[in-house]
Amino acid sequence: MIDSDFLSQLERIVGTEGLVRDESELLTYESDGLMSHRSRPAAAVLPETAEQVQAVVSLCHRHKVPFVARGQGTGLSGGALPHPDGVLVVMTRMNRVLDIDIPNQRITVEPGVMNLEVTRRVTPDGYYYAPDPSSQVICSIGGNVAENSGGAHCLKYGFTVHHVLGVEAVLPDGSMVHLGGAALDSPGLDLLGVVVGSEGTLAVVTKVTLRLMRRPQAVRTLLAAFDSTDAAGNAVSDVIAAGIIPAAIEMMDRTTIRAAEAAVQPGFPDAEAVLIVELDGPQSEVDTLFRQIEAVCERNQAWGVQVAQDDAQRGRIWMGRKAAFAAMGRVSPNYYVQDGVIPRSTLPEVLRRIRALEQRSGLTIGNVFHAGDGNLHPLVCYDDAVEGQAELAEQVASEILSYCLDVGGSLTGEHGIGSDKACHMPKMFSDDDLATMQLVRVAFDPHELCNPDKLLPTPRLCGEVPGPYRAHPAEVAGLATRV
Amino acid sequence: MATGPSDVALTDLNTRLGAPVARAGAGSDAVDGVVPRLVVEPQTPANVGGTLAWATESGRTVIVRGGGTKIGWGPTPGPIDVLLSMRRMSGVEAHRHGDLTATVQAGTTLSAMNAVLAEHRQWLALDPPDPDTATIGGIVATNDSGPRRHWHGAPRDLIIGMTLARADGVMAHSGGIVVKNVAGYDLARLLTGSFGSLGVVVNATFKLAPRADASRTVAVTLAGPEQCGPYVAALVAQASMPTALELAAPPPAMLVRFESVETVAEQQALQAVTLAEQQGGRAVVLAGDDESHAWRAHDTRVFGTGQDGTILKIVTVPNEVSSTLTRITEAAQTNHLDYAVTGRAGLGVLNVLVQGATEARASFVTMLRDRFLPGQGSVVIRRADAELKSLVGVWGPIGDGLPIMREVKRRFDPTGTLNPGRGPAG
Repeated sequence: MIDSDFLSQLERIVGTEGLVRDESELLTYESDGLMSHRSRPAAAVLPETAEQVQAVVSLCHRHKVPFVARGQGTGLSGGALPHPDGVLVVMTRMNRVLDIDIPNQRITVEPGVMNLEVTRRVTPDGYYYAPDPSSQVICSIGGNVAENSGGAHCLKYGFTVHHVLGVEAVLPDGSMVHLGGAALDSPGLDLLGVVVGSEGTLAVVTKVTLRLMRRPQAVRTLLAAFDSTDAAGNAVSDVIAAGIIPAAIEMMDRTTIRAAEAAVQPGFPDAEAVLIVELDGPQSEVDTLFRQIEAVCERNQAWGVQVAQDDAQRGRIWMGRKAAFAAMGRVSPNYYVQDGVIPRSTLPEVLRRIRALEQRSGLTIGNVFHAGDGNLHPLVCYDDAVEGQAELAEQVASEILSYCLDVGGSLTGEHGIGSDKACHMPKMFSDDDLATMQLVRVAFDPHELCNPDKLLPTPRLCGEVPGPYRAHPAEVAGLATRV
Repeated sequence: MATGPSDVALTDLNTRLGAPVARAGAGSDAVDGVVPRLVVEPQTPANVGGTLAWATESGRTVIVRGGGTKIGWGPTPGPIDVLLSMRRMSGVEAHRHGDLTATVQAGTTLSAMNAVLAEHRQWLALDPPDPDTATIGGIVATNDSGPRRHWHGAPRDLIIGMTLARADGVMAHSGGIVVKNVAGYDLARLLTGSFGSLGVVVNATFKLAPRADASRTVAVTLAGPEQCGPYVAALVAQASMPTALELAAPPPAMLVRFESVETVAEQQALQAVTLAEQQGGRAVVLAGDDESHAWRAHDTRVFGTGQDGTILKIVTVPNEVSSTLTRITEAAQTNHLDYAVTGRAGLGVLNVLVQGATEARASFVTMLRDRFLPGQGSVVIRRADAELKSLVGVWGPIGDGLPIMREVKRRFDPTGTLNPGRGPAG
C-alpha cells in the first residue's frame, strides 16, 4: 500500500527530482506503445544508479507494493503498463555506456542506453550490435532484454538472447545477482536465457554486457516487385531451398508499400508485393550468392528489381521498410499492429485466410513480414471515430492470431505477450505448460510483485474459466493458491 | 529413499506402467561407480512421466541417461534408485525442411538425426564429441557443442522448443516449432545445460542449417601460444567468416574451417594462409580426406576413446585465450602433468585433458580457478574420478546467482528426485 510514508522513503532513495507523484505528470507513463491499454501508476521513480533500483525494489518488497520497470515505453504488448497501486521504475536515466571492450568484442551498458547508440559507439572500430528492431532509434537495451527483441536481421544473426552475454539484475526481493558475464558458459543454470525475454517479470536489469559483431566485408541489398504475395512467397521458399540464409528477407504487400511511399518515398514500385533481400559476409560469398538470389527472383517473375548501389540507396530501402508501421497513419486514422508467427512454408495459406478476413470484416489489413522466419505483422486499419470499429479491429487482429496457431505458429515473434496477449496464452499452451512456467515465476517472485498480470494469464486478468471448480495442478502441488 | 527390496519396487513400477520396461540394475549400468537399483527404458512419453511420478511419490532418486557418453559429468551421485535410460525414445518426429526446423525424440543420436536431415541437405549444426553415441537429450542437458559452435552456436542457441517431463511426471511444452517466438518463459533454454536436474527432455525442436557445398580447412602451425591471439584478431579484423576456429596444444596449432560454395571456401582459406604467414606461422589448406583426417585427429586429442584422464572445460574471454593457454602450460608443468588442449579460440572455450597424480590435478584446477574473476572465466570439471571431484568440486564458484538457481531447482523438483546433487544448483 502506497502512503505518504512510503512516498517519503522513495524520495529519500531517488531524490525529489527522481520521484514523480503528481497526477498529471504521471499521465506521461500511463501506457507504453500499446496505447489502448492505460493505467496510471501510484508513483514513478527515475533511478540513476543500480543501488537506487535495488533500494526501490527492496522497499517495494518490504511493503508488498507491486512495481513495473519501464524503458523507453516503445513496447507494443503493454509489457510496461503500470500497476495502478504500484511503483513504475523508469530506467531512462540509467543511460551510460560503461565499458567498450573491442578486443573481446563486448560492450557493457546501462539498460537505458538506446539500441542504435550501441552501434553508433562502436562504428568507428568497425563493429555493430546485431539485433535491430524497427524502433532501434528510440528503444532501449533494457526493453530489448525484457522482450528478447529481434528485428529484420535476426534471421541470420539471432535475437537479443544470442547477443546478451551477462546481466546485473535486481531480483524481486531486492537482492542483486550477476548472471552470465563477459566470458561464455558461466557455471550454473542458464537463468540469463530465461531472464532475457521474461518481459520484466523476473527481475529489473541494471547492467547488460552485449556481444559486438564485426562489420561484414560486404553488404548487398535487393528490392524486387511481384504480382502476387504468393509469387513473392515462392521466391522466399526457393532462397531457403537453395541453402542460402540471407541477412534479411522482408516482404511488404500493396497496402504497406503505398503507405510507406506516402510517408517516406523510398521509391518502391506499385506492386502487389515487394521483397527486400539482403546478403552480407565475405565479398566473394556475397557476390556469388547474390547472383543466385537474382536468378531466384527472375524465375518467380520478379520485376522492377533495384539493387542498392551504395549505402544511401540501401538506407532508403530500409527506411521504407522500417517506416511501414508508422506510415500506416498516412492511409488510416488508426491501426492495430499484430505480431504473430507461422512456419514460413504456410505463408500462402495464412495470407489467403487474412485476405478473406479483410473482405469479411471490411477493414483494410496491411501486411509486413519478416518473411525469412515467418514473423507476420498484419496492420489492421480502422477509424476510432466510427463506433465499434476499434473493437472490430481488435477482434480481427485476434482472429489472425488464431490462424497463426492453427498452423503451429506463435502468439508473438518479438512484441511479447505483455498485458495484451496474456489471456491468449491458454490457446497456445496447456494448463500444465503454464503451471510449469509459473514455477519459474514463483521461484523469482513468490509475492507476485514484479510486473504482475503480464505474460501469464491470471483469473484477475482473464476471468475465471467457466465450469465447476477444479484444483489446478500447481495448487495440488502446493505451489500456488487462488486469490 | 527406497522403502523395500529392489524386486518389490521393480514389480511395483512395471505394474504401474503396464509394461516390463524396468529391470534390476547391473554393474554395467553404474554411474561414476554407483550401481542403480533399477533401470527403466521407456518407449513412450507416458512411461517417462509414469516413472518420474512413481519415483517422486515414493521418494526415490532418478538419474537420466542418454547415450552415456557424458554420464560421468557432474558431481558423483549418491545412491541411485532409478536409472532412466532414454535410448529407446528415438526418432526424428518431424523435419520441416521448408522451415529449417526439426523435432526429435531425446534418445536419438546426433548422427541418426543428421542422417535424416541430410536428405534435404540440412543439419542440426552441432558437432560435439561422440555423435554416433551421444543423444540429443544428453547434448541438450549438458549444452555440449564442438568446433562449429564458433559460427553456429551451442544447443542453447539453436533450441526453439521442448517437451519435458517434470519430476512429478507432468508433461509440459515450451516454445514451439517456429524459429522466432517469444511467447512465455523459455523453459527449453532453462533446461539446456541443467544436467537433468530440472526435468527430463522428452523431445526437442531445433533451428537447422543448410549443409554447405564445400569445406576447406587451414592448418596453421604457430611459433608459440602467444601467437594465437594476434592471429585470431587478424582474422576478425578482416571480417573473415570461419565456421570453426580451433586451437590445439601442445605444440600450439590452429585449424580454421571455411564452409560455403567451393570458390568462396577456397578463397577465404587462401586469405587465412596469407594472414598466418604474415604472423610468422606456417599454414596449408586441407580438403577432402586430408581435411577429414585432420579434424578426426583434432577431435580425439582430448575426447578420444583411448584417452584416460581428467577433462576440464576452461573458459576465458576471447582476448585472453593466448595468456590462458600460457597459464595452462605453466600450471601443467608446475604440477608435472601431461596435458592436451583443444578449443574455440574465437570464443574462449577450451577443453583440457590432464593426466597425473590426483593431488597434482587438484592443484592444477585450483591454480587456474584462482586466476579468474567472477564472470571473466571458469574452470569446470567434465570427466574426472570421484576423488578429484570431491577435492575441488565440479563447478567452481557459481557466484551470487546460486541462491536463485537453487530456488528454481526447488520449485521444479521439491522432493529432490532428479539427478540430485548433480546439477549446478543441486
